[in-house]
Amino acid sequence: MQTNEQKLQQDVTAENGRQELVRTEKAITVDFKMVTFSLAGKDYGVDIMNVKEIAKASKFTYVPNAAPFLRGVYNLRGEIIPVIDFRIFFHLPAERKSEDAQENLLIVRLEDHVYGVIVDSIDKVVGIQSSTIQPPHPIFGDINIKYIHGVVENQGRLYIILDVNRIFEQKEEEKPRLISETPSGNFFAAQTAILEKEQPGSSAKASASELEFIKETLFALKHFAASPLNEGWVETRFGEWKKLRNNKELQLKNVEDADEFLGNFYSPCNGRLWDEDYAEKVLAALPDLTSKTITVWNPGCGKGYESYSLACILKKRYKDARIKIWASDNDLLAVSSAPNMVFDLESVPTIYHEYLVKGRYGYSFNPEIKDAILFEYHDMKNVNPFTDLDMIMARDVLSFLDPNEQIKVLNDFAEKLKARGLLLVGQHEVVPEDEWTRLGTEPVSLYMLNS
Amino acid sequence: MKTKQDFPSINEREPDGLKPDGTPFRVLVVDDSMFVAKQISQILTSEGYEVAATAGDGEEGVEKYKELFPNIDLVTMDITMPKMDGITALEHIMNFDKNAKVVMISALGKQDLVKKSLLLGAKNYIVKPLDRKKVLERIAQVLGKTSTA
Amino acid sequence: MRVEYINPFVESAFNVLKEVLNTDIKRGELYLKSTTMPVLGVAALVGLAGDVEGRVMFDMSKQTALAVASTMNGEQLTSLDELAKATITELANMITAQAVTKLHELGFRFDLTPPALFTGDNMEVSDHEVEALIVPMETPQGKIEINVAIRERA
Repeated sequence: MQTNEQKLQQDVTAENGRQELVRTEKAITVDFKMVTFSLAGKDYGVDIMNVKEIAKASKFTYVPNAAPFLRGVYNLRGEIIPVIDFRIFFHLPAERKSEDAQENLLIVRLEDHVYGVIVDSIDKVVGIQSSTIQPPHPIFGDINIKYIHGVVENQGRLYIILDVNRIFEQKEEEKPRLISETPSGNFFAAQTAILEKEQPGSSAKASASELEFIKETLFALKHFAASPLNEGWVETRFGEWKKLRNNKELQLKNVEDADEFLGNFYSPCNGRLWDEDYAEKVLAALPDLTSKTITVWNPGCGKGYESYSLACILKKRYKDARIKIWASDNDLLAVSSAPNMVFDLESVPTIYHEYLVKGRYGYSFNPEIKDAILFEYHDMKNVNPFTDLDMIMARDVLSFLDPNEQIKVLNDFAEKLKARGLLLVGQHEVVPEDEWTRLGTEPVSLYMLNS
Repeated sequence: MKTKQDFPSINEREPDGLKPDGTPFRVLVVDDSMFVAKQISQILTSEGYEVAATAGDGEEGVEKYKELFPNIDLVTMDITMPKMDGITALEHIMNFDKNAKVVMISALGKQDLVKKSLLLGAKNYIVKPLDRKKVLERIAQVLGKTSTA
Repeated sequence: MRVEYINPFVESAFNVLKEVLNTDIKRGELYLKSTTMPVLGVAALVGLAGDVEGRVMFDMSKQTALAVASTMNGEQLTSLDELAKATITELANMITAQAVTKLHELGFRFDLTPPALFTGDNMEVSDHEVEALIVPMETPQGKIEINVAIRERA
């Protein structure tokens, strides 16, 4: 069996070698991307369209009287999903880990169902040309051939591509589905139509599909959803990216690549106190407000730097008003350190010095500023009592929500704001001009709700 | 609640619950929780005290105290109760009998409640969950017996 | 929920459970949930008032409630009778009261109401949506979910 397999590997390599020559003449079109992982020493891949996220987990609540490959159920942020051990499912040898050991989980979504899949280790995202996928060969007796979409060779490794639809739905006679046949529940359905089997000749079409894949990877790895909110920036960035990468190897292979791509998306002074320059610009963009108490909701405040910056700016701008900021984030670790932040004087821009007081461990904001901000552990998609707000500050937050949530949340914002209330979003985020009037100029994305 | 075994000591001592004349101290237990009342009673009776009566709210507690006066040596008083809370009940009992010995037993340990109770005349304040040893020590203290050597 | 309120609840749950059950307790990861229906079978509710309004719910299965009540009483209880129920409500009371005490030390004024117990037979369906912080606690007797839904009084 080994020699046959080796021979097949050689065949595949030879074939791909031939394709290499062809490839150097035409740009390789990546039209299939997979998340790769290992099971019992072999490499496997799953269509990235099916992978919602990856996780490490150890505690699965055991479900009695279930199939042996059902390791239990797992609590994924409140959603209970079944956890399947692929090694047991495929009767592969699996190393017995201790009860508490962390397993590597692929979170897979098929239509409405979410499953957790335990694998030995998760590797990376690999992009390939679907025409290079070889049909499954009976030699791969490890796994029932009906679960294998095909095999492909990439950078010296042989990947067995699993058909997760078959595995979880067990429908007879179902053709392995390529990306081009995915149902349109997908946000990018319109663009995926481009991927009909065509000659990968036209560079515009190839480019568009490259961009589509980048968008999908950004969502899978960083939960950044390209949408009308940020498409201007995405298009521009893609252009820059192509130049940066000399039109080769455009695809984002891992989290580091995704971070690099997103590098210049974030608003100024992200994750730190606003510097003098940006603070002045925000100050200048703020209109007059007559409320005696100015109420602000700041979802996605992270560690709180922008909340403190805003508090000081508002105090400066609206000297006679009381300021009340509800700063929230669903990252517990980040937001719980916010109320007690301590700084070195040298690292704080001078504009804030008048608001600082010296304490035992360093400088912190004075009681007036601290009392103005209430930090909450809160998921902005859940119900909250905020209403009649003067302002909402959500910088670089909407772009990291699911596309359909973005719309819901924006509508929610409009409802929660007073007439002519203010909305400050990220530098590269744009909200619909029919509902909002832009007040600020680059880089201040300040909008006012149309009455 | 685990009860700790008392090992016989070389210095034989009498149970704290007995007065010098051999009769037990009589205690009124006021708490709206059946579980807590049972718990306190078990601790007390295991040390020789007699639980003369129990009451399920502040109002009933005051009534029973007046009824059984002067044959109540000590009152244990919960704070969070329906109808009449423990602080109000304490006030009423102290007005009725300025020598009443009331020990507050509550899950709340707020400083202002402790201060208020002591100012109103409570002799001690115990915070739940109950520790058998601590409860017995404090009560013995209040009743004027010196703690066991 | 204000971040300052979180630790007191988590610590109190841990301390009280550890002490009354006299065993090791494990805390699961905290998370936020959007509805507040009890899900496990037995729920003890303690109301909160003062600087905030809301309530704390202790959610557990009937089995767990029985096992916990048995341990706390030092005897094996066979059914969820008056004593067992009183024991569970007292547990809810102690944890909430300790949290309220800690919060008081931090400068927050909370008050609690006497607890109420709901079992599968008399659970009320409330579709009042509120965001709740879930603190899952693992005990040898089973899982207890502490569900805190409070918001600032405007």
